[in-house]
Amino acid sequence: MTLPETISGLLGIEGLAGTIIGSFLGAALVGTIMLANAALAGPWAKRKITAAFTDRISVNKFGPGGIGIIIPDSVRLLSKELIVPEGVDRPAWDIAPIVMVFSALLGFAVIPMGSGIHLADPSVGLIFAFAAASIASISLVMAGYSSNNKYSFLGGLRAVAQNLAYEIPLILTGLSVVLFAGSLQMGEIVAAQQETLVLGPIGIPAWFGLVNPFAFVLFMIANVAEVGRNPFDIPEAPTEIVAGFQTEYSSVYFVLLYLGEFVHIFFGGALIATIFLGGPAAPIAALSIIPGFVWFLIKIWGVFLFTQWLRSAVPRVRIDQLIEIGWKGMLVLSIANLFLTAIIVGVLPS
Amino acid sequence: MSLQTPSPDLDVGETPEGLDFDALADLLDEHVLEREQHINTEGFVVRPDEVETVLATLKREAGFDHCSCVTAQQYQDRYESIYHLKKYKDPTQELSIVVPTPSDAPLSQSATSVYETTNWHEREAYDLVGIEYDDHSDLRRILLPETWQGHPLGLDYNQKKPQVVPLREHANPVEEKTKVPGESDTMFVNIGPHHPATHGVLHLKTVLDGEQVVDVDPDIGYLHRCEEQMCQQSTYRHQIMPYPDRWDYISAGILNEWAYARTAETMADIEVPEYAQILRTMSAEMCRIAAHLLAIGTFALDIYGDFTAIFMYAITDRERVQNLLEDLTGQRLMFNYLRLGGTAWDLPEPRDQYFEKVREFCSYIPERLEEYHNLLSSNELFQMRVMDTGILPPEEAKNYGCTGPVARGSGVDYDLRRDDPYGYYPELDFDVITDDGCDNFSRALVRLEEMRESAKIIEQCVDALEDYPEDEREIQANVPRTLKPDPDTEIYKAVEAAKGELGIYMRADGTDKPARFKIRSPAFSNLQSLEIMAEGEYVPDMIAALGSLDIVLGEVDR
Repeated sequence: MTLPETISGLLGIEGLAGTIIGSFLGAALVGTIMLANAALAGPWAKRKITAAFTDRISVNKFGPGGIGIIIPDSVRLLSKELIVPEGVDRPAWDIAPIVMVFSALLGFAVIPMGSGIHLADPSVGLIFAFAAASIASISLVMAGYSSNNKYSFLGGLRAVAQNLAYEIPLILTGLSVVLFAGSLQMGEIVAAQQETLVLGPIGIPAWFGLVNPFAFVLFMIANVAEVGRNPFDIPEAPTEIVAGFQTEYSSVYFVLLYLGEFVHIFFGGALIATIFLGGPAAPIAALSIIPGFVWFLIKIWGVFLFTQWLRSAVPRVRIDQLIEIGWKGMLVLSIANLFLTAIIVGVLPS
Repeated sequence: MSLQTPSPDLDVGETPEGLDFDALADLLDEHVLEREQHINTEGFVVRPDEVETVLATLKREAGFDHCSCVTAQQYQDRYESIYHLKKYKDPTQELSIVVPTPSDAPLSQSATSVYETTNWHEREAYDLVGIEYDDHSDLRRILLPETWQGHPLGLDYNQKKPQVVPLREHANPVEEKTKVPGESDTMFVNIGPHHPATHGVLHLKTVLDGEQVVDVDPDIGYLHRCEEQMCQQSTYRHQIMPYPDRWDYISAGILNEWAYARTAETMADIEVPEYAQILRTMSAEMCRIAAHLLAIGTFALDIYGDFTAIFMYAITDRERVQNLLEDLTGQRLMFNYLRLGGTAWDLPEPRDQYFEKVREFCSYIPERLEEYHNLLSSNELFQMRVMDTGILPPEEAKNYGCTGPVARGSGVDYDLRRDDPYGYYPELDFDVITDDGCDNFSRALVRLEEMRESAKIIEQCVDALEDYPEDEREIQANVPRTLKPDPDTEIYKAVEAAKGELGIYMRADGTDKPARFKIRSPAFSNLQSLEIMAEGEYVPDMIAALGSLDIVLGEVDR
């Protein structure tokens, strides 16, 4: 049962009105959860994690571990003047940040978060998730092109080149999972990972990340490029093109872009958790008493931690190197992975 | 004419005992109008329309491949440009070419076809003093705005006159320069003066073709603080010494102070006590480590694109050496520690404790270098980014007057600490690090390894200081209260600062203040070579090349 159905059932409203109200409340709940995660990650967790990597202390004065910094930071970000530069192409310039956040949040509609939090489970769930995430590229191009700024323009161009180069390997690698699961439906994909794989004396969960680690690694790398984090944070590249596509944005628009990026990272984490790490499942049966939603959060925060680790430790590659890695390396490897998976799935009895 | 036949590996005028100026004068024949005596070398006076011939002959025949600096100045009856020539293989072989030009028509031939480095030096001479250079391809103002009226170091310049620029002259002076000629698909971008990677207020006028750099023209002068003029209005004995701290302000203060100390002490013939020299050497090398740490940190920042681990590690380590310097000098950045004839004060008490701290730091540095090598030089992504980018071939490095780690990263074995020794360096055992890679990577490597050598030097200094007999610990020589060098004494002396050869030219006029004070900034000359490194490369590589040059705008703009 999906979340809207549960809600309408609880409220005792049936029919179309029940579906609409249930969907609305369900979407609001999921959106709030993800925005709360982003709010925790942006002003606080990111700082603390980076500080831990670089031997610093970071925020520590306000609340336990400085977590209260979220409040003054939000006030600061929201109360800044919204500067609209001369010559920006409105309304494209205004829409871009909204599209950015929207596209990332949209994808969560099909993600099973465990504990019954699952908005919809269409039969093409995985394709929907990829499609929703790809809308973000449009917002990058819009922001870059409409800002009337050369740095933004360069950032927009880089974003296009990067997304072209990495979206295809990302989807091809995702498809190899579909071959295993035999379905595009997220619920099915998660269900297919619930068995236990027995390797001699030890049993491990049949998560696709463990069944096919090669695909998992490829997907992780392509995902880092997709969300534009180090070593692939080329569309922003602060030391080269100032801030890339977001150079001209301030105040609320900046918050939206910034938030969009974090929600995007979490969405990448959610995808990885769902198709490679068993979704909301506990790693061993004994730990199943902890709710699935908690496991899901742990997994997406794990992916977030991974991106922050890369950010602290790995240099940014150059745009031509990025394209080369994408087209000559990732694409070839992901096709090879797809073929191998197809052969294995076809030859081995399921 | 010398009767000996010169051996084949010696240049004209080169003898085992030093330069034979007569032979050089013979080489130039009738071009030499007159010979002047400067303290560091001889000055050959030549005609303004023969500069190119003279310099080309000296470079080709006599091996003067390093045009260290061009000094311009105005006398009551004439203008004068001085080309300070040296040799990369032996910087003690110096020669000054003095080019007088008449007051009413200060036009002199440009030396840019012989030494590329003179391009900017001559522009500066034009900007500040007002000498014009014939055949100079690009004679624009360099430090002052293009709309500036008058030449501030000229004698008839009215400092009180406000710089009111009429609107017609102020109407965007760069407008036509921002247009890219022709029908090409290139794009003009101003990188800086407010940009995360320009290390201060550098402005790169860049023409891009897609991501590739077609043309780059550094626009400097945003941090010009009239340092030369301030020094000319200050007394030798006390007032000038604090200024050098403000040139290369990235904690290289004592290295800079030493440039002034060495020049003024040579000029006034002051003998510095050995004990003070050891103190100077030790503190200067601490400054070098601090400066190199910041250079490595910001270089990594440019490549990584964030204030990441390496930057923070470098800053944390720099903090340690800053604490040592603070204990010694009482200051963290603007040390003002050297005095003419010595240092401001002795080591902090208790001495043993200080020595222990310094020794601990010296053994800590090689440990940390392993960490930096792990994070940087053995990181494959990092190698991918910086290897074979920003190529500066050794010939070009010499042509552009590059010195310091930039030249040594191109395999030019040139270090004034060894080649033109001063202070306590002759007694010390250290290696000059060079690397033949000529790319961004080797410049970073050279800096990393130089820190190891600096730590070695500091350790040796501590050894010497510990055993120094108590009654001989003299930190200050006897220096007159007021220094008044004889009129028309001229000197050019340099030391190895963090960024390379930091030279100072001074001319005395009999008062207690210098009549001309010219700073040869290593970062100024090094920055010129950016065009060789960057053109044809991608934007990120240009940023990396800029980071590997390790410029400090305080020193470039002075």
